[in-house]
Amino acid sequence: MNTQIRRLGLTLVVCFAILFVQLNRIQVFTQNQLQDNPLNTRAIIRDFGAERGIISTLDGVVVARSVDVGGQLERERRYPEGELYAHVAGFFSFNFGPTGVEDVYNDLLAGQTTGQRFGDLSALFSDEDRTGNLTLTLRDDVQRAARDALGERRGSVVVLDPRDGAILALWSWPSFDPNPLSSTDLDLAGAAYDALDFDELDSPALAKAYRRAFPPGSTFKVVTAAAALASGRATPFTPVFPVSAGYTPPLTTSVIPNFGGSSCGGTMTDGLRVSCNTLFAELGAEVVGPDPMIAGAEAFGFNARPPIDLPAPEASSFPSGFGAVLQQNAVGVDIVEDTPGLALASIGQKDTSATPLQMALVAAAAANEGLIMTPHVMAEVRDQEGMLIEAYDPSVWRPALNGTDAEQLRTMMLGVVTSGTATGLQVPGFEVGGKTGTAQVVADSLDTHAWIIGFAGPPGEPAEVAIAVLVEATPGSGQQTGGAIAAPIAQQVLVQALQPMVMAQATVEDPPG
Amino acid sequence: MVSAERNAELGLLLVAAIVTAGTYSLASLGASDALPANIVPFLAVILALLLAAHLATRRLASRADGLLLPLAGLLNGIGYVFIARLDEDLAGLQAVWTAVGVGAFALTLLFVPRVRILERYRYTFMVAGLGLLLLPLLPVLGQEINGARIWVSIGPINFQPGEFAKLALALFFAGYLVEKRELLAIGTLRIGPVLLPELRHLGPVALAWAASLLVMILEKDLGSSLLFFALFVVMLWIATERASYLTVSALLFASGAVLTWSQFGHVQDRVDAWINPWDDPKGSGFQVIEASFSLAQGGLTGTGPGLGSPDRIPVAETDFIFAVVGEELGLFGATALLMAFLLMIGAGLRIALRTDQPFEKLLAAGLTALLGIQAFIIVAGVTRVLPLTGVTLPFVSYGGSSLVANYVLLALLLRISDDSAKRAERARASARAAA
Repeated sequence: MNTQIRRLGLTLVVCFAILFVQLNRIQVFTQNQLQDNPLNTRAIIRDFGAERGIISTLDGVVVARSVDVGGQLERERRYPEGELYAHVAGFFSFNFGPTGVEDVYNDLLAGQTTGQRFGDLSALFSDEDRTGNLTLTLRDDVQRAARDALGERRGSVVVLDPRDGAILALWSWPSFDPNPLSSTDLDLAGAAYDALDFDELDSPALAKAYRRAFPPGSTFKVVTAAAALASGRATPFTPVFPVSAGYTPPLTTSVIPNFGGSSCGGTMTDGLRVSCNTLFAELGAEVVGPDPMIAGAEAFGFNARPPIDLPAPEASSFPSGFGAVLQQNAVGVDIVEDTPGLALASIGQKDTSATPLQMALVAAAAANEGLIMTPHVMAEVRDQEGMLIEAYDPSVWRPALNGTDAEQLRTMMLGVVTSGTATGLQVPGFEVGGKTGTAQVVADSLDTHAWIIGFAGPPGEPAEVAIAVLVEATPGSGQQTGGAIAAPIAQQVLVQALQPMVMAQATVEDPPG
Repeated sequence: MVSAERNAELGLLLVAAIVTAGTYSLASLGASDALPANIVPFLAVILALLLAAHLATRRLASRADGLLLPLAGLLNGIGYVFIARLDEDLAGLQAVWTAVGVGAFALTLLFVPRVRILERYRYTFMVAGLGLLLLPLLPVLGQEINGARIWVSIGPINFQPGEFAKLALALFFAGYLVEKRELLAIGTLRIGPVLLPELRHLGPVALAWAASLLVMILEKDLGSSLLFFALFVVMLWIATERASYLTVSALLFASGAVLTWSQFGHVQDRVDAWINPWDDPKGSGFQVIEASFSLAQGGLTGTGPGLGSPDRIPVAETDFIFAVVGEELGLFGATALLMAFLLMIGAGLRIALRTDQPFEKLLAAGLTALLGIQAFIIVAGVTRVLPLTGVTLPFVSYGGSSLVANYVLLALLLRISDDSAKRAERARASARAAA
């Protein structure tokens, strides 16, 4: 019998060895495959139901927080301000994952960064609340002012601090309510998601302020002016352009007219003040030339995605080439195959497009000695005890132009507000510079986008605020000029943004459920 | 004389207690970031129970194997920690059952001073075993829970008589086969190439096969059916030393399995869920898929006790407790668990090899096979090596009947070990005296 008993032992050892092999297969070799299986909702449920830090504005208004709702998913993300911060904070959907700040700073909010996980010894063994509370750079008063000033007009408002790139307000209308999308009622969340038409260009879910590029119209003349200064072929007062009602670029017979058929000319300063098309078209095409124009636009960040800490920023674009060089003109500027296109691009038409964020950065460059700081919405993250986990470290994104040129550009833009098309931007007691834009959308329609960009600060001090406002053309909106339509909106927002920040009163906690 | 074996046992029991208490603390830290409030009484209860079992062996089976009890204590303790992590109420009950199990362990050692005295009650055990096995089929008493009719309710107490039936049947098989082994080993009946013993000696073999089929069909308990039959076949093979019984039995079981598979939907479901659980991931495949996800979540080192989400597997505390261990202790922990079972199997078979009494030898091998095969069947089911059949993982799963029965099994093994060690000692003593 002993032989059989030994064989029994051997058989059982083989059986257990098979189990061991199979365990290795499941736990090691196919581990990732099993974890990524769409049916495996463990990680999603854990993240969704886990503790998650609060998102609040710089002035202390709660934008997002988690509440216990019980049930399998345990917690639900709530956005007390509804649509006001939807494009910044995003939402936290069980089915579709996080978006916005919820996505970009997911690990910090959920307490999953290495620093948070291994910060102290007890953290090694526990799942206790190590989540981070995130403070945005946005100011609730400025964001509200942006929303109120724009009203129910399709458009965007971007306000930022030129000195460090901190976004003070980022608003687009229409927006959406992130609450149903983040619901633990998954049917409700699914229906809310479907209703938003995420793939559509005009979906309320699309944060147009930084994710959609529009023709910038005359606001782009600031970039052309900067390129002209940088090229060394122009100063604010030279050359002097003839007064003209139309400019015909080389190689074409198409005339570029001035707005409303008016005539204008003179120095670059004069041209910027009245937004002279003929002057800037000629300046770009025949004084600056193709390569310096491209370099100038790209120095401001065109043709690159701004490294903002929000998902999927759109790049603004300027043509990257205008064809082969045909000849050089009298001042040594290349005349190229598409010099007519360059003339149009120089006044923000043709293939030039820009996001409202990009145009705010253009204004910021003029106000910040030529430096474009990296735009960002995160100010800092602290743990539940209030200890700092991470603070945003400002950095330069683009040195758009040198300090001297920037000062000249700044002065020119001040002139536009004092006695030009942007007088509506004036804020008593502050130094304000700006530039308007009115961009035709389709050739045979009168409907135009109304733009304004600007900066403002106490006299003699660096500007504290840069802004871009876009009111989109809608069918039948007619000719909306930047000066008449966009300037008052921007002015209202600037007034608020120039006020010292006041911390919000602690809000009363909503009852759970 | 204090046996070295007992001192080793005591030391190993302390290790088991420390491992259990440590895991318990980690699970509590993981779940709530605090040491368990009841850690001191918890540790005291574990130590008291293990110590009680140890004192029972020290007093009643002083020469018994010293490895089995600490291994059982370790498995029991780890099982308890994960049951507590899943369901506090069940953990309380499991603690009571552990106490009852340790009591049954001591009483078995007390009332069975020699295993040989059980040999003469073999037919009583047969009747008792078959009776217990078929008890759940009785109206009123029998209860069908989760699709298997393996429960008996008497008043407030629910139990699975099958867990005790397997012990009774192992005792019966051992007694019966020792009596008939020579007859069964001689073939007189030739069917093709196979030589079989006379039909009247084969009667009990047929009876066992019929009973196991009955269990499979009427109680829908595939796991127990497989276990009983495997137990019987293994013991028959060891007793007769004839491999042809293995072949015949395997064919019989295979035909029975195919028959029930073709006739019964629930068997087909189990097999389908085994071959391709992804066909019906929310239905029949759900448990196995969730168990795989659970194990994958654990990976090599596990999520850490209390940090996984094993509560997503249905019946995690009984059939799927192994997946829970695999998730939270990882491949390392799961392998350690398998190693513990292998060590128990090794210890059990060593006991079988050492004794010179055929009845003891057969019983020890049978009991060890029961333990090993049962552990294999459920772990194989959880890891999709075999179709899932609901049996408990001995000592680890939640379940009173299972725990108590396994402690009795353990006591019988230790008793055999003690008997043979003492006989050997006496033999040496008399040899010395003669010299």
